[in-house]
Amino acid sequence: MNIFLIVLLIINYIFYSFLDAGSLALLIGLSLFTYAGGRYVYHVKRTSHTDTKKICLAVIAVQVGVLCYFKYLSGASLPVGLSFYMLMAISFIADVYRDEYSRFPSLTEVLVYISFFPTVISGPIMKSKDMIPQLSARKKLTFGRVERAIWLLAAGVFMKFVMADRLSVAVDRVYEAPLVYSGITLFLTSVAYTLQLLFDFAGYSYMATAAASLLGYDIMANFNLPYISATPSEFWRRWHISLSTWLRDYVYIPLGGSRKGKMRTYINIFLVMVISGLWHGSTVNFLIWGMLHGLGQVVHRFISENRKDTVKTPRILSMIITFLFVNFLWIPFRMPTLAGAWTVFSRIVTLAPGAAYYYTYTFIFAGVLLLTEIAGIVRANGNNPLKPLPLDTMYGRIALCVLIIATGMFAYFGSGAFIYAQF
Amino acid sequence: MQKFSRYIKSIGGWFVAAVIAAIICNTLCFAFYDPCQELVREHGATTGYLLPDSHGVYGLEGYCIANIDSYGYVNRDMERSDDYYIVAGASHTEGLFIPERLRYSDRLNDMLYDDGKLHIINIGKSGNYLSVVLQHLDGILGEFPDAKGIIIETDSLAYDTKALYDSMIQAGYDPNETAGSILSSMSLRSRLSIKAKQYLPLLRLLHKQYYTYRDSKKSEEAESDILDPDFWRSEYEGDFETALDDLMHFIRSKTDKQVIILYHPAVRLMDDGSMRILTNNAESYYKKVCAANGIDFVDMTDTFLRAYNEEHIIPYGFSNTTPGDGHVNAAAHEMMAEELKKVIR
Repeated sequence: MNIFLIVLLIINYIFYSFLDAGSLALLIGLSLFTYAGGRYVYHVKRTSHTDTKKICLAVIAVQVGVLCYFKYLSGASLPVGLSFYMLMAISFIADVYRDEYSRFPSLTEVLVYISFFPTVISGPIMKSKDMIPQLSARKKLTFGRVERAIWLLAAGVFMKFVMADRLSVAVDRVYEAPLVYSGITLFLTSVAYTLQLLFDFAGYSYMATAAASLLGYDIMANFNLPYISATPSEFWRRWHISLSTWLRDYVYIPLGGSRKGKMRTYINIFLVMVISGLWHGSTVNFLIWGMLHGLGQVVHRFISENRKDTVKTPRILSMIITFLFVNFLWIPFRMPTLAGAWTVFSRIVTLAPGAAYYYTYTFIFAGVLLLTEIAGIVRANGNNPLKPLPLDTMYGRIALCVLIIATGMFAYFGSGAFIYAQF
Repeated sequence: MQKFSRYIKSIGGWFVAAVIAAIICNTLCFAFYDPCQELVREHGATTGYLLPDSHGVYGLEGYCIANIDSYGYVNRDMERSDDYYIVAGASHTEGLFIPERLRYSDRLNDMLYDDGKLHIINIGKSGNYLSVVLQHLDGILGEFPDAKGIIIETDSLAYDTKALYDSMIQAGYDPNETAGSILSSMSLRSRLSIKAKQYLPLLRLLHKQYYTYRDSKKSEEAESDILDPDFWRSEYEGDFETALDDLMHFIRSKTDKQVIILYHPAVRLMDDGSMRILTNNAESYYKKVCAANGIDFVDMTDTFLRAYNEEHIIPYGFSNTTPGDGHVNAAAHEMMAEELKKVIR
């Protein structure tokens, strides 16, 4: 009996109750169902030679069915975190089926894994094989771990409440009445949203990682400078990494991945992106967003595979094209209707006249991101260059204190909800 | 013992780091948010002065480096002319959001005069709405007896009958209540407080942020009330027109100078691409009653709508806030100056 895990489980449920008390029973019920399903699959695998694939698929079908019901059919607001913890629950069943466990996890471990409070609202979506073994072997709380957690927490809070929320001011205002504004303003607003989404979600992920780190657990990084990607598929290796890898491991590879010929590979890529779109939301906008991302990846792959000339496109040009591609696709992702998305897009491409509104913080935060990306390219081989501050030095302490005070100085008090929590 | 000493050293290190970080952020505030100090008064042209011969930096909404004249008002460093108008109003007139030369009072001054003197004296003060300005009419006339006229700016006509009558209750005028006399009669504690605020804008910014956070929900509720078209309608029933006429008559009884009420309504940007004027439909009453009492009523409604429809100019909001919200921007100040130019005699 691991007392720590029991206490953590209680904390998880109390935390969840504060957010959505009405859906706590659903969380617990699904967790118990997942545990029972996993146990049954594990038991059958070890006691008979029956193929457990069908059992496994049946359990996953129930899980997906519940998600689909709440997402597309119920009409009520989506239970907090359902999309995220359901993927974790599916991952558990799949990992049991794949014999990833030499010892079947305890009930407490499974319940804690699915309801883990740092990740239950918006991920990162931890795979069960990576997370569950950690639960009973948590790492010692060292100075370095605390140092990293404090840095991640401070950076995450700054990214969310200063950067993302300040950008949300302009984005919300412009997108609520796009016919008012000029094409250039709408383009800059689309960039502002592109930045807002990154800072909002990456900020949340940093905070989640910090909380997990303080508890002695390591959770995966969710972002790695996504906007320096030079291809659509590279973007998905850098953006919402936990979802991308989940889709790769539990959808793309089971579908055959790239092992069954070119055409099948294209279809698999496209299907995975469509599923990603549907996972994000129930409106046709998300479907189209997913389809276009899928199409982008397929077209890029096709061109790369069939290109005869040896002239290489400069990476900077590829990065700009990929950024614009991703940026424009965030428009249907953000707009509530397809008509609204089309309005924004058509006004941008026709450079429609209208009110000019060049939001200062878009330029400031774009500059900050650009500098970070340049540092990442030059000093970290294209990876996130932000390292934990050395809090044992005066420089590190001062920088952390400046970050905390600056958050108080510049935080915007208005919105506050995390964008990805709605998915 | 060695552990204890290391512990103390660590706490000391963090304390020093926090102090250095606060100094860095405080220094940043001098370029971002360092508002002028305010001096409260009771019996004068306004409800208060700003600290004379000081300057302030305002970067939360628009950006402005404001210079305060030796009288405690937001005027440029120019010699006052004997031939002058007074401009009174609240924060829109005070104009701590745009460079001072772009304020409508300054623009009007530059449009009408080129002798390098100050002919349009701005006594705008945050919180001095129409009713407050009228309560200080004796103060304005006492402090500026030779003014050729008074311009009173307002962004709202939403006053009920009681408020209109209350506007006639005068705060009075005490000629000795100057910014200098208030400063010299201050206690040591108040002076130290002003000095502390002058050197620690960071604390003022954090204080403001705290109140913004606390009030964020309240302001959302208030806005929804004002947007309700029926919200003010009941106020016009009964004796509203009589009360308004009594108020204008009261103003006229106080002075025979030119009096101009400059009204600039709030706007809302609609999803059909239009700009709607947020009005409580009191303009017609004001126009009629002002005309009957020889008071000029300048209504910016048509000008704002024309500017939006023809040139996509939105009169409110800045590049660091949201369009259509907050205070009038430089474009609107220019329009207001143009309209005032047409009626100034």
